[in-house]
Amino acid sequence: MAFAIEEYTLPAPSDIAVKMYEDSAVLWTHVRATFGLALVGLALGTAVGIAVAVLLHIVPPFKTALSPLLVLSQNVPLIALGPLLIIWFGFGTTPKLILLVLVCFFPVALSILVGLGQAEPHLREYLGMIGASRWERLKRLEFPASLTYLFSGLRIAATYVVSSAIVAEWLGAGANTGIGFYLKLKFSGFQQAAVFGSIVCIVVMSLLFFYMVVLAERLVIRWRPRPEPEWKEASS
Amino acid sequence: MSGSDNRGSELELRGISKSYRRGRDRTLVLNDVSLTVRAGEFVSLIGPSGSGKSTLFRMVGGVEKPDQGRVLIDGEDRTGHKGLISYMPQQAALFPWLKVEDNIRFALVSTGTPKREAKEQAAQWLERIQLGHVAKEYPHVLSGGMQQRISFLRALLMRRSVMCLDEPFAALDALTRADMQRWLLELWEADRRSVLFVTHSIEEALVLSDRIYVLSPAPATVLRELVVPFERPRRADVWTSTEFVELKQEVLRLLEAGHSGTV
Repeated sequence: MAFAIEEYTLPAPSDIAVKMYEDSAVLWTHVRATFGLALVGLALGTAVGIAVAVLLHIVPPFKTALSPLLVLSQNVPLIALGPLLIIWFGFGTTPKLILLVLVCFFPVALSILVGLGQAEPHLREYLGMIGASRWERLKRLEFPASLTYLFSGLRIAATYVVSSAIVAEWLGAGANTGIGFYLKLKFSGFQQAAVFGSIVCIVVMSLLFFYMVVLAERLVIRWRPRPEPEWKEASS
Repeated sequence: MSGSDNRGSELELRGISKSYRRGRDRTLVLNDVSLTVRAGEFVSLIGPSGSGKSTLFRMVGGVEKPDQGRVLIDGEDRTGHKGLISYMPQQAALFPWLKVEDNIRFALVSTGTPKREAKEQAAQWLERIQLGHVAKEYPHVLSGGMQQRISFLRALLMRRSVMCLDEPFAALDALTRADMQRWLLELWEADRRSVLFVTHSIEEALVLSDRIYVLSPAPATVLRELVVPFERPRRADVWTSTEFVELKQEVLRLLEAGHSGTV
């Protein structure tokens, strides 16, 4: 021990691996709980984000009136809001989901709102000339055109959803499930190997969420030309 | 033999004027334009670019209202009414996220064709114009000419009795363009819908139309109405006749006179 680093300051990777193996059954239940919470939160947040963006888009006065409120919703810190939500909604999943929806809806709503206004002018003109209704314009032009924007917002939301779920679990003292709860427990017990173990779980889950969105984007947006293969490959 | 039940309506523009505000001034774009497209007639509007042809189209489509004047369809005042014409713009305006057949299907459904019929018509007609093999492709893989064919087909199949084509071939190369003109004539001569066609190519107007209105530079007004005397169905080599050349020269003189008149 040349640097005399104790296990409770910085555990060796091998200690972390051993600890994760020992705790694997418990970890697995907590990972599943956190994963489920994050997934439902992301789905609900996306749905709310789409709904808010479409509403603000089709009623322009709302857009001017409510846009500052959207930003405001992101300025209240989670650690202030969490305990309040627990007081109002109890120790169930409701306050956690509300927190996640608040985190996820914002990037989604903001990016779609930009996308809805960006639809190609000549397609807009075409729909006007053939007398398409407002609903058709939204359904056939504005919404599909904003899908690429939706996915870039969704990537941001997916990046933050797991760590936000951890914060929510950390705060929601009553419900004793989730990696956030496990993390809190191990932290109080100075079991740093387990703390690092939960960080590994969180990072892996976050990556998983991110690539799920990338995959979904690839499945949904099929109309864009694929990049041409490189010339190098063709000549060899 | 088309999707429409009627052969065409009469379109009449009476004394259309329109000006736009630019800063403090009002710029007159259309100055008392009157023209008629009789039922089943192919009429071209020709004029220098920037002469307000597209603005005129927007009035016909009901997207904009004229300051003065009226748009009549079959004698009824339809000024500012949307959803009465079918339209083919300069850019093909196919929706990139819809496959070729869905592009046609959705446009037909949104203009009043029942869903099942729209699907059958799209499939049938794509086959008939030898584009059946691209029905399931996205528009970006098609050439400019193919996209315009699909755009025209989409306009043709709509249940609307007046078709407005806004410089549909302007972006194509000369060969494709000549090819498209012959192709369009063939389809149109079998159908005989009322067509208002905007172009800045004199040859194109002469090859395709029954009558031509020559417009002046902005503020646009009708300089002359010309009857194109060539028989239908039109021969592919009509442009070689001396009469064609004389007509072309006459239109050219009118456009030049109109131009120098404003300088």
